[in-house]
Amino acid sequence: MEQDARQESPLIELIKVTKVYPPDIVALEEVSLQVYKGEILFLTGRSGAGKSTLLKLICCLEAPTKGVIEVSGRDLAKIKPPGIQRMRQKIGVAYQDFKILEKQTVAENIAMAMEVTYASKRAIRERIAELLVMLNLSDKHDKLAGELSRGEQQRVALARAAANRPTLLLADEPTGNLDQATTELVIRLLKGLNEESGTTIVVATHDESIYMETDHRVMDLCDGRISVHASRSKPRQIELFEALPA
Amino acid sequence: MEYLAYLLRQTGRNIRQTWGTQVMTLLTVTLSVLIFSFFFLVYTNLLKASERFGDELRLVVYLDKEIEPQQQPQVEKKIRSFSEVEKVTFLSRADAFARLQAQLGEEQDVLADLGPDFLPPSIEVYPAKTLRGLTQINQFSEYLQALPGVAKVQYGREWLERFGSFTKLIRVIVFLSGGLLIISMTFIVSYTIRLTVVSRHSEMEILRLLGATSAYLRLPLLLEGVLQGFCGSALGLFSLFLLYRWICDHFTAPGVLRLFEFTFFSPEAIALILLSSILLCSCGSLVSIRRFMRI
Repeated sequence: MEQDARQESPLIELIKVTKVYPPDIVALEEVSLQVYKGEILFLTGRSGAGKSTLLKLICCLEAPTKGVIEVSGRDLAKIKPPGIQRMRQKIGVAYQDFKILEKQTVAENIAMAMEVTYASKRAIRERIAELLVMLNLSDKHDKLAGELSRGEQQRVALARAAANRPTLLLADEPTGNLDQATTELVIRLLKGLNEESGTTIVVATHDESIYMETDHRVMDLCDGRISVHASRSKPRQIELFEALPA
Repeated sequence: MEYLAYLLRQTGRNIRQTWGTQVMTLLTVTLSVLIFSFFFLVYTNLLKASERFGDELRLVVYLDKEIEPQQQPQVEKKIRSFSEVEKVTFLSRADAFARLQAQLGEEQDVLADLGPDFLPPSIEVYPAKTLRGLTQINQFSEYLQALPGVAKVQYGREWLERFGSFTKLIRVIVFLSGGLLIISMTFIVSYTIRLTVVSRHSEMEILRLLGATSAYLRLPLLLEGVLQGFCGSALGLFSLFLLYRWICDHFTAPGVLRLFEFTFFSPEAIALILLSSILLCSCGSLVSIRRFMRI
């Protein structure tokens, strides 16, 4: 699937993207990257390597200081707010800090993502039930999100990101608070989305266990630069990324 | 359809979240509409009354001596030369006496000793509808007074002046209460919407990240203002109607109110008040949405 995908133009393309936070903290430096439709990409690296920044740039939460980001061939800097809003409806994001509403129930939190697309009440109800079963949260349907454990909140955030069967799903440390068994549930959900809906998935993680055994692309970020670009389809075969800055 | 359902659901959620303030806002809007519409109702009734008085207005010109029938066209021509006049009626002493007798009915015995000549002859002048201003009537009266043979001109000047002043005063109160209505509605609704925006800030931030459009976020707040305007003004008008009914039930005996033939607003006026309130409350909503929603 990935080989086929690469014949097409990339879904996401970053061309020499730099992000500097005031006063002069360089989060990303001249990063170039292509993510193809239907691909699963793992972004790895230590804390502060720039993984989360990269995801924020892709979902337009922040703008790059330099460089160009294209999604489906369109320069994000040139898309007007209504276009950005429409685009966000097709991108599911599971944030590192979850961004869930603690005073609302689990179901309400997940429903939010579908309500903005004006999905029918029935469709919302069915999808929520399906996701909760997949993530082993069925008994938490009506529980307030604030009463859940960190791991459960993390799964709610992921369920919300996956609710619309998005074209692109960005997950920032989706297994950071989970045990091995629950991590497997999350991976199964992501793979299922990728296979059934063709969702392109970018996962930022430093949890080796979730990408060691896969044959998907893995990209290491170090101090805001892409240091190593590895394809796990041939285990441990590591190739230097061509567009590395000098 | 889903969109409409969402809009109503979200508006309901907003109202539930800040229900205490919503009730206060509703009461303020109701009270503002009640105060304004009360004075507006009094004013419209006064205008109707003044129109009625205008229709019945006549200047009675008392004469020193009777005018011969052959001279009457000449006098009428003089009267009409000042202003357009609807009707001029000449009353001889005998006509005046006969009319008084008729008015007294069974009590006309009181006139027995007075004889038919004790009333002065007069001319009744009914000015045209174009002549309605108090100043114009005064000028006309002065003109009539200056005509030869005229003893006195009477038309209830003092009463008309007082009525005119009272109407002016009510007009000022209507404008003031209208101003109060505009200020209170716009500010209180704006404040309530601001509270809603603040209480839903985190949610709106997340919705924005999920791709909620501006319309998705803003329309429920606008609808909240529209509902406040509609419910507040409907309650205000309903309260006024109850007050009106109470006044009609308790003050129907002969008196001032009977004289005025107090009536309630026409359906058009009710619709106008409702629409104005909705518009003002929507403006209050928009002000808050523009100022406090940085989305």
